[in-house]
Amino acid sequence: MTQIQSRDVPVIELRHVDKHYGDLHVLKDISLSVGKGEVVVIIGPSGSGKSTLCRTVNRLETIDSGEILIEGVPLPQDGRQLAALRSRIGMVFQSFNLFSHMTVLDNMILAPTGVLKLNRKAAKDEAMALLDRVGVADQAHKLPAQLSGGQQQRAAIARALAMHPRAMLFDEPTSALDPEMIGEVLNVMTELAADGMTMLIVTHEMNFARRVASRVIFMDGGSIVEENTPEAFFTQPRSQRALDFLQSIRN
Amino acid sequence: MSLSALLSEYGDLYLRALLNTWRLTALCFAGAFAIGVAITVLRVCPVKPLRVFGDFFVQVFRNIPGAALLILLVYALPRLRVLLSYEMCVIVASVLIPSAFCSEHLMSGMNTISPGEIEAARALGLTFTQLIGRIVIPQALRSTVLPMTSLVVGTMLTTALGSQVPLRPNQLELTGAVNYINSRAVGGILAFAISAALYVATALVIGWVGGRIDRKVRILR
Repeated sequence: MTQIQSRDVPVIELRHVDKHYGDLHVLKDISLSVGKGEVVVIIGPSGSGKSTLCRTVNRLETIDSGEILIEGVPLPQDGRQLAALRSRIGMVFQSFNLFSHMTVLDNMILAPTGVLKLNRKAAKDEAMALLDRVGVADQAHKLPAQLSGGQQQRAAIARALAMHPRAMLFDEPTSALDPEMIGEVLNVMTELAADGMTMLIVTHEMNFARRVASRVIFMDGGSIVEENTPEAFFTQPRSQRALDFLQSIRN
Repeated sequence: MSLSALLSEYGDLYLRALLNTWRLTALCFAGAFAIGVAITVLRVCPVKPLRVFGDFFVQVFRNIPGAALLILLVYALPRLRVLLSYEMCVIVASVLIPSAFCSEHLMSGMNTISPGEIEAARALGLTFTQLIGRIVIPQALRSTVLPMTSLVVGTMLTTALGSQVPLRPNQLELTGAVNYINSRAVGGILAFAISAALYVATALVIGWVGGRIDRKVRILR
């Protein structure tokens, strides 16, 4: 019975979340859930609040009201509980954010040894396996600045995976990349999705969204305007604003 | 007195004074560095009273003249029933003042850290202590080697406070040695020039070593 229940509990759930930056109402009554193994893609024009939404899930952004639950448990406010919760949610940033003073391998094992208390040898073995999986094992002993953007982002994904996250957040993971490197990062993400990882992705890559998403969420002006299957969203969106947005990016 | 006469008579004194200046500089910089790091951690920690204390500490010791601090240590501390030796008073003053500057350098070093890396560390679940110990302080240190090098030189010059208290001849540092010589012979400007040359030579070596370290640890971005 409890097992069935836990399967029904969404990995990520937002209930009536509101957030302001001063007078600016950046998130308006956002409710959203991401079930286990789901890939939810958030798209929308810049300034629509999609990155902010993504960042509230592990409390890199605080919220004014509403509730955020991870596997049914409310997000802790701060301190060790919050740190522990964050360690179970992987996050990938637009600007990669590898630690610039450490080699790629040291980036990989910092949190597994420091937070999960894995021994160095085990953390290192797993790090190398993950780097191999994303295709940058040969860069393990280099510094981030010596890698291409695509390699850095794949290493950053591997770094998040090393924590065995229950879900992964992607905040515009390809927006800072040169066009020829976008594909290699999206391929890694596609494989992750195929392996059943729960993912919440903010992106401008429409083809990727259409191919990989279980659901598409369209945001504008701080609100969720439309929630739809990728096929329906990209062929016949229900809202005029989504239609306008899709037309503007196609031109 | 001629240079040769000065060196033949007081050569040993200069040598001992040079070694004392080096010893004081190393000791005081080590102390200033340790306190500077600790104070900096307080200044960025989540507990407000500690942040306030850290800022207060820096404001006090960055803005007090070394001679004034030395007078306080020599004359005011005994009233609080704390009696330090003259040499210890010099050491304490030469630790506290540079420690405030050390903290200021580290604070500016922290500004070079990408906010994204701090967010990444948080997102991985690092605690405040881990964030500070593994990301913030290492990066701040590696980007402030050159100002810290200047601080070593500054600490060395601060140890000249030793000339303002009555130290035993074997405790004299370079400036104190000049006072000692000039109170016994007519060393004149030359006696000062010898000490000055030794300060400059030491500073050049410190600067050279600092430059080497900086090139080695500077962070590629």
